[in-house]
Amino acid sequence: MNKKVLLLWGGWGITLLTILGIGVTLLPYFWMVSSSLKTGAEVFELPIRWIPQEIQWANFPAALSRGSFGTYFANSGIVAVAVTAANVLFCSLAGYGFAKFRFPSRELSFRLVLSTLMLPLEIVLVPTFLVVQHLGLVNSYGGLIVPLAVDAFGIFLMRQYIKDLPDSLIEAARLDGCSEFGIFWRIILPNCKPALGALALLSFRDNWDQFLWPFIVASSDALKTFPLGLAQMEGIDSAAYHEIMAIAVIGMIPMAILFLFFQRAFVRGIALSGLKE
Amino acid sequence: MQSGGSGRLASVRRWTAWPGRLSYRSRLCWAGFFFVLPALIHLTVFKFYPLIEAFRLSFYRYDLMSPPVFNGLANYHALWENSLFHQSFWVSVKYMFGVSIPEWFLALGLALLLNRAMPGRSVIRLAYFFSIAMSQIVVAMVWKFMYHPHGLVNTILEFFGAGRINWLSNEGTALPSLIAIGIWRGIPLFGVIYLAGLQAIPKDYYEAAMMDGAGPFQRFVHITIPLLLPTILFVMVISLLSAVKVFLNPLVMTGGGPNGTTRVLPYFIYETGFAYFRMGEAAAASTVLFVFVFGLTLILLRLLRRGGVQ
Repeated sequence: MNKKVLLLWGGWGITLLTILGIGVTLLPYFWMVSSSLKTGAEVFELPIRWIPQEIQWANFPAALSRGSFGTYFANSGIVAVAVTAANVLFCSLAGYGFAKFRFPSRELSFRLVLSTLMLPLEIVLVPTFLVVQHLGLVNSYGGLIVPLAVDAFGIFLMRQYIKDLPDSLIEAARLDGCSEFGIFWRIILPNCKPALGALALLSFRDNWDQFLWPFIVASSDALKTFPLGLAQMEGIDSAAYHEIMAIAVIGMIPMAILFLFFQRAFVRGIALSGLKE
Repeated sequence: MQSGGSGRLASVRRWTAWPGRLSYRSRLCWAGFFFVLPALIHLTVFKFYPLIEAFRLSFYRYDLMSPPVFNGLANYHALWENSLFHQSFWVSVKYMFGVSIPEWFLALGLALLLNRAMPGRSVIRLAYFFSIAMSQIVVAMVWKFMYHPHGLVNTILEFFGAGRINWLSNEGTALPSLIAIGIWRGIPLFGVIYLAGLQAIPKDYYEAAMMDGAGPFQRFVHITIPLLLPTILFVMVISLLSAVKVFLNPLVMTGGGPNGTTRVLPYFIYETGFAYFRMGEAAAASTVLFVFVFGLTLILLRLLRRGGVQ
């Protein structure tokens, strides 16, 4: 076989692999959407029905009535927005501080901040709960939000970005008599919109998704987030997979929309995290 | 207002004069400190204090109701004697490496694939990266549905002549099923990170190598791998760290079963603390898990640093 033929086959092989990979990646989501529009009987029907015979929009209201899903989605929204806002503010403040100032033990404290990446909630679950209990925040929005308000990853991301902004920008504002906070607010923030956008998206995704912490700290139904509601659907009726999938689809929609609109910022945020260090 | 230069000078003087006692340098020092302060306070209260508290609590007997009672190393001893803890530890280790090692290679493969020039590349990337935006809980529920005895996984396998398996309630298949989800989910995420690393490699290197007659394999080994090494290191550490904290999938999909074969350490900690209210023992298990994660990260960083990564 000569080189040209080999290359051609290699090219076809790669194309096939690419398509297969996309299939494996997206199939579960396709199956979820398709199943959410089927009747209960159709869901496990053989041979497979990829597209429902008749689209069952009624699954959605039926599924939503299985719990106080209005409340759950609202709670997820409140937690996600509040935590994202707090993260964007505190992480950019700290990122600026670490990137552009010299103060004693700066390196040490930055290392300490990074080391908290090794302390996910899953590891410090018990004592974090005790702290929140001590603060009297169990079963409250405060308890859901406050412990998540700062994330070391966000600080890292903002520091990386702000470090690359030219010092002259800050010096000029300082010479013009701008206050230190004014510099942050009027010069730094507007100049790191891409990083802020990426951080906001990643933070929103993680907290829209928040399961473990609400699971521990919010026992009252009025404070449950949508992941908790979705997980408890099974306990109510484990056979109603078409309705469980309907809730999953609703839960997926906000992220899907955000992703489609801000795909670049999303990918950049993740990519930024991996660069330069 | 005075014209440019002298106006500036005046404001410098005014600025440095205020607040008088502090010099320019120490003022900046304080400013920087105040910028990082809110985050430091938060992390101290919700990360470092809990870590220390977990360590302290690990020497106490505590059930949330009555005040803690000091009992020395009894919690650690109980863990050592507890065969469920040993089982959990090994389940976690298997899950961690079972998920992250394939991820290292497959994600790199994906990144290399997506880095090639091909028609419709942006749409292809979109399709792969879509999965990154999805919620963990949505993923967990969908996969539980897919792994159902009558679910899609079995239906597809049956098409190829395999028998139906109850993936999640079979001792031999439950953990591998969860590992498969972990890998499936991690590949696009780490693929993005690798892709960014690949794109940061200057094109001239490849061109120069091609001039010297280096083939694709040689270019990969002598240019791509060495220049990508920091990214590889990063992916290795992050993938291990994110695999060790898996909790939601076992909780929602298998409940730690069957027979504890998917009870990862975070699940063990949760169960001990919040189902059996043995907070001291849970804290001891947390401490062990932390020491394990910390040690592993240090070893990995050191090993790879010796391997020439900055």
